[in-house]
Amino acid sequence: MSASQSAVRSRAEAVKVSRTFDYLIIWTLFMVLIGGYHIHFMLTGGDWDFWSDWKDRRLWVTVVPIVSITFPAAVQAMAWSRYRLPFGATLCVLGLLLGEWINRYLNFWGWTYFPVNFVFPSNLVPGAILLDVVLMLSGSFTLTAVLGGMAWGLVFYPGNWPIIAPLHIPIEYNGMMFTLADLQGYHYVRTGTPEYIRMVEKGTLRTFGKDVAPVSAFFSAFVSILIYFLWHFFGNWFSQTRFVQST
Amino acid sequence: MKTIKDKVAKLSFVALLMTLSAAMLYTPTASAHGEKSQAAFMRMRTIHWFDLNWSKPVVEVNETMEISGKFHVFAGWPETVDKPEVSFLNIGIPGPVFIRAGSWIGDQLVPRSVTLELGETYSFRVLLKARRPGEWHVHTMMNVEGGGPIIGPGKFVTITGTMGSFTNELTTLTGQTIDLETWGLSNIYFWHGLWYLVGVAWLVYWCRRPVFIPRHLAVSAGKLDGLITDGDKKVAIIFFVGTIGLVLFGMGQANSKYPVTTPLQAGLMRGMVPLEMPEVSINVKVEEASYRVPGRAMQMTLTITNNGDSAVRLGEFNTASVRFLDPEVYQDDSGYPADLLADAGLSVSDNSPIQPGETRTIEVTASDAAWEVYRLSDLIYDPDSRFAGLLFFFDENGNRQMVMVDAPLIPVFI
Repeated sequence: MSASQSAVRSRAEAVKVSRTFDYLIIWTLFMVLIGGYHIHFMLTGGDWDFWSDWKDRRLWVTVVPIVSITFPAAVQAMAWSRYRLPFGATLCVLGLLLGEWINRYLNFWGWTYFPVNFVFPSNLVPGAILLDVVLMLSGSFTLTAVLGGMAWGLVFYPGNWPIIAPLHIPIEYNGMMFTLADLQGYHYVRTGTPEYIRMVEKGTLRTFGKDVAPVSAFFSAFVSILIYFLWHFFGNWFSQTRFVQST
Repeated sequence: MKTIKDKVAKLSFVALLMTLSAAMLYTPTASAHGEKSQAAFMRMRTIHWFDLNWSKPVVEVNETMEISGKFHVFAGWPETVDKPEVSFLNIGIPGPVFIRAGSWIGDQLVPRSVTLELGETYSFRVLLKARRPGEWHVHTMMNVEGGGPIIGPGKFVTITGTMGSFTNELTTLTGQTIDLETWGLSNIYFWHGLWYLVGVAWLVYWCRRPVFIPRHLAVSAGKLDGLITDGDKKVAIIFFVGTIGLVLFGMGQANSKYPVTTPLQAGLMRGMVPLEMPEVSINVKVEEASYRVPGRAMQMTLTITNNGDSAVRLGEFNTASVRFLDPEVYQDDSGYPADLLADAGLSVSDNSPIQPGETRTIEVTASDAAWEVYRLSDLIYDPDSRFAGLLFFFDENGNRQMVMVDAPLIPVFI
């Protein structure tokens, strides 16, 4: 067979090859995202996602959406611009969550015996679906950044509240009040993570009294819009095909 | 040539197999926490731990043990380490093999960071509940913001039993009795599983059809019609509305199931009450101090004035948790870790009782392999070559006085 001949001889064969290619690429992309997005998120979100006693209504709500909208924006840019596929954000988040669960279960629990109810990851799926749907229905990266980025930030806390609410029940312990999450952080000893490293309830967003989470979520949503813009450009740059002219 | 290549290939393969086998089969127990690698001046001139007691050498899962003692916050705290204005009384163990059931400085529970005052001495205790069977090195430890962990002495404690029987039962302020070890776990799995399925459903919907090649060809050719159908848009709207609906439902359900919740608790605790130490009537001046590298011995020339009303003798020099004792004056029966106890490591040129009102200059030598083993001799490579420690003097009745010493240290290499 010469280089100019086709590798397939019939339409059925072409369809089969195309589907095989689909599965290979999806699988490879998924695995790359598990690795790349996971490392990025651990380095930037880190402790806010590792421990229940870091998941507060102020900095967790602010930091996690901002640092996690990065890869979804980039992969959306690639998948939508090149293929008109609106699943970039969801694919990223499912990869991240699978990687995180493997890490939390095998390493945090299986290796160092921290209970899983102390080290579960944050749930990012609702925001990812909203981001994908907004892109698909609008077909505009600008609208996706503004509306989708906003939704990504706003839906984060309510999307996680059913998971963390049981750990925010108060308890009196040796004459002091804790939440159960605080007590987890105190009970399950982290030699390398002293209490003062924990960044919770710090900041000045106290204008609305005890309703801190919505203010933090709005702030996070605004910054998520900006980060979306930035990272969708990265996605575009990395998914360009460039040809070199032969001499 | 081919034979040589084959042999090299075979030997390389055998070497690879041996390496893999060794890596898999040889898994020794880690038995320390890097305490020896911490800069010597950090251990000598920050927190001095003393009068320590590990209440039990062996505990069963669910049983408790306690580490108690005192620590002195050295007044000559090194300039290169942040002051202990934000500190946390921690415990050095390999992960949560125990849970920290309580920790106190004086009578104050200290679940959060605290402010410590230089020059003060505090009592402390840490209550631990056994969780994971094994033999664990249990250290005292103080974390200092801007300074890092300052680790104290460690002692092996054995936990027996099975981890499966461990429980951590608590009663909340809403009246529920829960096991914190597993509380909320099924709820976490349920919500994460449910949302993951929603995400997978969205992916599967798009992957049912050809994904990459035909769509890429169509996009490249500008033929976008048909790539997103009206049916797709309807499904997307269902996902959009369903997502928002599920989020609202979950939130509403959580609020009705857990109507009383509070934010995470945080904040620095100030006002730790130090111990009232007996008034010191002994004055010690360090005339000179040197460390003889080949002999693993530190020598001090001290001028001691006894301003008290009873004769005293020097019985102990404690630095970086290594205790050098003069057995004629003081013998330790507290079960202090043997590797940190030089029970005859202190020799004094004239250790006859120093009478009230007397001033005497003596040569004190603290020698033991611990200088090397605990890498205290590395002090000579530290950025501030000074030593510090606690001197303990005893009178006839066994009364003890603690005196801090702090002076430059000159290494002697020959």
